[in-house]
Amino acid sequence: MRTVIKNAHLLDATKDYGTADLYIKNGLIEGSNLSGSVDETIDASGLTLCPAFIDLHAHLREPGQEVKEDLATGLAAAAAGGFGSVVSMANTKPTVDEAGIVADLVAKAAKIGQARLFPSASLSHGLKGETLTDFAALKKAGAVMITDDGIPVQDSHLMRRACEYARELDLIIQTHSEDPSLRQSGVMNEGLVSQRLGLPGNPISAEAIMIFRDCEIAAMTGARVHIAHVSSQRGMQVIEWFKAQGYGNITAEVTPHHLTLADSVFESFDSIYKVAPPLRTAADVAYLREVIAKGVVDSIGTDHAPHTQAEKDQDLLQAPFGIPNIEVTFPLLYTDLVEKGYLSLSKLIELLTVGPAKVMKWDAPTLEAGKAADLVLLDLKGEKTVNPKMFKSKAKFSPWSGQSLKGWPVKTFVAGKQVFSV
Amino acid sequence: MIAGSKPVSLTPPANSTESLVKKKHLFDFKDWSLQEVHALFDTTDVMAQVLERTIKRVPALQGFTVGTLFFENSTRTRLSFERAARAQSADVLSFAAGASSLSKGESMKDTLRTIDQMQSDVYVVRHAASGVPYQLSKWTDAVIVNAGDGRRAHPTQALLDAYTFKKNFPNFDSFEGKRLAIMGDVMHSRVARSNIELWTLLGGEVSLCGPATLLPQEFEQFKNVSLSHNVYEAAEGAHAVMALRLQSERMTSGLLPSIAEYQERYQVTEQVMKHAHSDALVMHPGPMNRDVEISGELADSERSVIEKQVANGVPIRMAVLYTLLVGKR
Repeated sequence: MRTVIKNAHLLDATKDYGTADLYIKNGLIEGSNLSGSVDETIDASGLTLCPAFIDLHAHLREPGQEVKEDLATGLAAAAAGGFGSVVSMANTKPTVDEAGIVADLVAKAAKIGQARLFPSASLSHGLKGETLTDFAALKKAGAVMITDDGIPVQDSHLMRRACEYARELDLIIQTHSEDPSLRQSGVMNEGLVSQRLGLPGNPISAEAIMIFRDCEIAAMTGARVHIAHVSSQRGMQVIEWFKAQGYGNITAEVTPHHLTLADSVFESFDSIYKVAPPLRTAADVAYLREVIAKGVVDSIGTDHAPHTQAEKDQDLLQAPFGIPNIEVTFPLLYTDLVEKGYLSLSKLIELLTVGPAKVMKWDAPTLEAGKAADLVLLDLKGEKTVNPKMFKSKAKFSPWSGQSLKGWPVKTFVAGKQVFSV
Repeated sequence: MIAGSKPVSLTPPANSTESLVKKKHLFDFKDWSLQEVHALFDTTDVMAQVLERTIKRVPALQGFTVGTLFFENSTRTRLSFERAARAQSADVLSFAAGASSLSKGESMKDTLRTIDQMQSDVYVVRHAASGVPYQLSKWTDAVIVNAGDGRRAHPTQALLDAYTFKKNFPNFDSFEGKRLAIMGDVMHSRVARSNIELWTLLGGEVSLCGPATLLPQEFEQFKNVSLSHNVYEAAEGAHAVMALRLQSERMTSGLLPSIAEYQERYQVTEQVMKHAHSDALVMHPGPMNRDVEISGELADSERSVIEKQVANGVPIRMAVLYTLLVGKR
């Protein structure tokens, strides 16, 4: 099978190739501006072709919470968002804490044939924060990351031992860094807005303290520690401080919602905005925008967290945490950050491709010959309104519903196979 | 005709201030104007006259149905609203969470939609979570009156507090320069938040006092609001002093060391009132922990308008129901 994508603007995190024809053969990139017969020609005039995105942080809810999302809908949603690879989170029911569950997920995802699935496994059995899971067996079954994401690891000693053991296996630990005793039952950022609205607050110090602990344990153990969904300036500054000391084993992630929404959105009392860690102040959002341009952040992870509409229709104390966003991540960030001049397009692509690959020690996704033909064609000019009803995800609601965005994925390819097309 | 049975006219004249109330719902006072609040007070005066008659009932809301949706238990506020509805000949649908399908797992949205089939014109909503009245308003065409949501707002309480204050002075002119001191657990109090909102909207000032664990510093950023940790300082020159209920769980959750220390430092007493304005009123939104946040002696004193607050709750809620259902048309 040989395909050519003609007249696209070829762009990856390392290079702008200009307008060219990209040839794909047997699932790999063959090269650009070649010749010879092809089985398929795709005209991509006016579109931009990039390596498909990598999401190190998505809640696909399988096994056990298929009412919210399942592998088929979650991986299709990822593909629709331009993602070719997804690391699924382990806070399912049951928890992904046994090798058999990991193997099942890998096998099932392969049959679905959408975005590639790379499951994470939990750090502790049942996310209870008490005993370590069998990291080696989980890795052998296909787990690429160890994380209790969703529930912070409260026990510092357990985190230390997890890091030591993960280092031995060269597994990456991803942390949900919030101090549970400080965040208490907070449903939003603690501050002027939460006090005015009378909603229980979750202070920034809960995040900053736990990020410090997790970085310090990374420093002590030498383990690769990926700090997920950093939401605050003070939390980010802790990471900057450690990075400035040369701790290359510490990496950091930010999410699309923490880059675009501030806590004042809660004035609407819409539980759609309830997310953990919470949306912070406008000053925090501004700071995160500043640092991603400077290279402190290694990856943008979606933290796509689907729920049912009924769950989100509960009151703000009861409604679950999480925003479904994987299908709007690129257009949102392109429109809000690149178009408005906060970030270059190549930097955004880096944070969604080469950046996360480097965090995982994966081969850098570029458009060079020989690389996997995991690609996304983007329409950077056409505007389209966010319509959650059209989502592939089961969670058909969005904080950005009705917003007009640019940068929508038009086609997504995984190993040369088209897995999404508008 | 029996004296006093003649219905008071509730048809506002064409140029009445009542027509100024443009709001569909009463969630809080976020977007209310001074004129709208004064229009409500004017209507309250009319309602108060109704309640002074022998037959305390007018047909103003005949044919309307008032649904009280109390997802959180409250006896006094529900009784007050139901009294206000019936005194205007409205039908009342009463929903209380404890005895309902909520305990069988029904969502608040489904509860609302079910009751909506019985065609209420207005829902009086009480809920433990802030924002629920806003959420419910998306799922019904009926009017929503907030009867207390989480720590957020209890607007009819604030209205009756301000009304009680205003009516206590025969030649009352304005809230300008008048200061309300609120003492106690401000953080968890929807009464405090609504009073801050309304009292400052009316042109007054508010001083807040309580232990640092129960008095968020962020309140200092509110306009015409000051903070203090000293009751005497907060009471100094105040025109009304309101004590807030202190719940015993504040001790077990590590927010306060002991009741004794709280009483010693924050109880509103005769001694505290000596620092206040000579005409200052003593208020409490109830239910009261006698001798915890307020001395029993002071609660029963001549300065105390605590019972008057409860009494004024009825005409205030009559005015709110009337204004939102018919008075604004």
